[in-house]
Amino acid sequence: MNNDLVFTPIRQLAELLKSRQISPIQLSEIFLDRLEQRGPSYNALTTLTRERASRQAEQAEREISAGDYKGPLHGIPWGAKDLLATSDGIPTSWGAAPLKDQTFDFDATVVRRLEEAGAVLAGKLAMIELAGGMGYRQPTATFTGPPRNPWNRETWTGGSSAGSGAAVAAGLVPFAIGSETWGSILSPANNCGLAGLRPTYGRVSRYGAMALCWTLDKLGPLGLTADDCGLVLEAIAGPDPDDPTAADMTFAYDDSPTEGRRFKIGVLKDVADGAEEPVRENFEKALAAISEVADVEEMEFPDYPYVAAIRTILNVESAAAFEDFIEEGTAAELTAPEDHYGPYARTSVLATDYVKALRIRGVMSREVDGVMSKYDAIAAPTSPRVASPIDEEFRKASPSPGPGDLMGAIGNGCGLPSISVPSGFSDAGLPTGIQFMGRPYQENTILAIARAYQAMTAWHTRHPEDALEG
Amino acid sequence: MPDENKKELRADMLFEIVKAKYGDRLTDEQLEEVRNGVDGVEGLAAELRKVRLTNAVEPFANFQPFRGADNDE
Repeated sequence: MNNDLVFTPIRQLAELLKSRQISPIQLSEIFLDRLEQRGPSYNALTTLTRERASRQAEQAEREISAGDYKGPLHGIPWGAKDLLATSDGIPTSWGAAPLKDQTFDFDATVVRRLEEAGAVLAGKLAMIELAGGMGYRQPTATFTGPPRNPWNRETWTGGSSAGSGAAVAAGLVPFAIGSETWGSILSPANNCGLAGLRPTYGRVSRYGAMALCWTLDKLGPLGLTADDCGLVLEAIAGPDPDDPTAADMTFAYDDSPTEGRRFKIGVLKDVADGAEEPVRENFEKALAAISEVADVEEMEFPDYPYVAAIRTILNVESAAAFEDFIEEGTAAELTAPEDHYGPYARTSVLATDYVKALRIRGVMSREVDGVMSKYDAIAAPTSPRVASPIDEEFRKASPSPGPGDLMGAIGNGCGLPSISVPSGFSDAGLPTGIQFMGRPYQENTILAIARAYQAMTAWHTRHPEDALEG
Repeated sequence: MPDENKKELRADMLFEIVKAKYGDRLTDEQLEEVRNGVDGVEGLAAELRKVRLTNAVEPFANFQPFRGADNDE
């Protein structure tokens, strides 16, 4: 019974809760126990929030029993990347040893919105220190230990939302919130075989979330399915006076059936060149599958220095965001050796080069949108590789940056939403992912495409064996 | 001066600034990594400088004057 519940998508869990076949207290206990017992073996957990979870679960039980059902997240446990501020004395470490006891006296907007939706905060989840803002190159860059991938503990989860990926893949929480500046939601979704949604920049308030790069940071869900991501996005999206970059619009998830709908999908020329063989093979198979419901054609983006522009913006804003770490020398107290000196070079960017990058960003955003207006989504391998060994520097281990990085630079630089879902497995049993990237604010379109793909495939129904044991 | 030499000269000067500010807390090995990092930063900037933009192209970052809650005009 427990295992069935553990890997049950949100919509089905919600039906069980609403119909009172299971209570929020029972459900939260299952996940709290799993987080407590199994979380450390994946280095996925920073803080178990049992007291708060029990309080929220009891409230959900009272409300549902009284017929006051709030919606599909009511009574559903979840985990927060440990860069989201939480009150009640719950630490918010940002994954950094010098801040492991840091606390806030307020909840991040996302935490508050999920509470208002009736969700139950089960734990704060491990992450790469400062979300990778110091230029980390290895999975060990966090004081909680290298995040281990449930599909193979000797490989890593991807990052920086590492614990969020591990916890959902291991069935420790039904969904988690991660953050992405450049790859930090899609990478763990890829490595852990999950659905991960990077929303449009500004779709979700970042108030109370650690800032890494003000003009690139996004918050979004990791779940078992694209449908899970849509349900969570609806709860966390919307305007927020506390975050001036939050878009002045709500998000209503359109979960209507996709049968009979035909999409148009672009595939960036040579996008899978340089990818590992299983990634390339699975991507081609995924395109063949999706062509049942979509017209697929090759396309190209106009030629701009996307990576240089967005990397420059990231360098400058992260150096500013962590100015105290740099000026006071606190970087030396971080876990990864490369994070001790990583930020210093970033202080050498000239102001005119930063502004040039911002100007190019405007031009490229308009031109990219012009190209994307012809498509419902652009498809690409989420990553050119499967999860790398836990003890290996992944940047050295990686092939040339290539077009995969181009998707990251364009997607994050232009603030575009993208969803990654599993596209298969390697011979070694490691997941691969396909991403569908859309125009700004068109999450419903890419969610529909991802749902249509998942309706034709069963990769998302596979789960790591050792997570199923016990 | 050839572009490549200019790029190296700029990187030399930028590295000296970083070293003057933070060098006392970094080992020789770390300084070498910082130097590589500065070369990387300068390499990115060189790509950006190749793009020609007209005077009218503004930075894509919206600044809005702060409007207080009591400002209803």
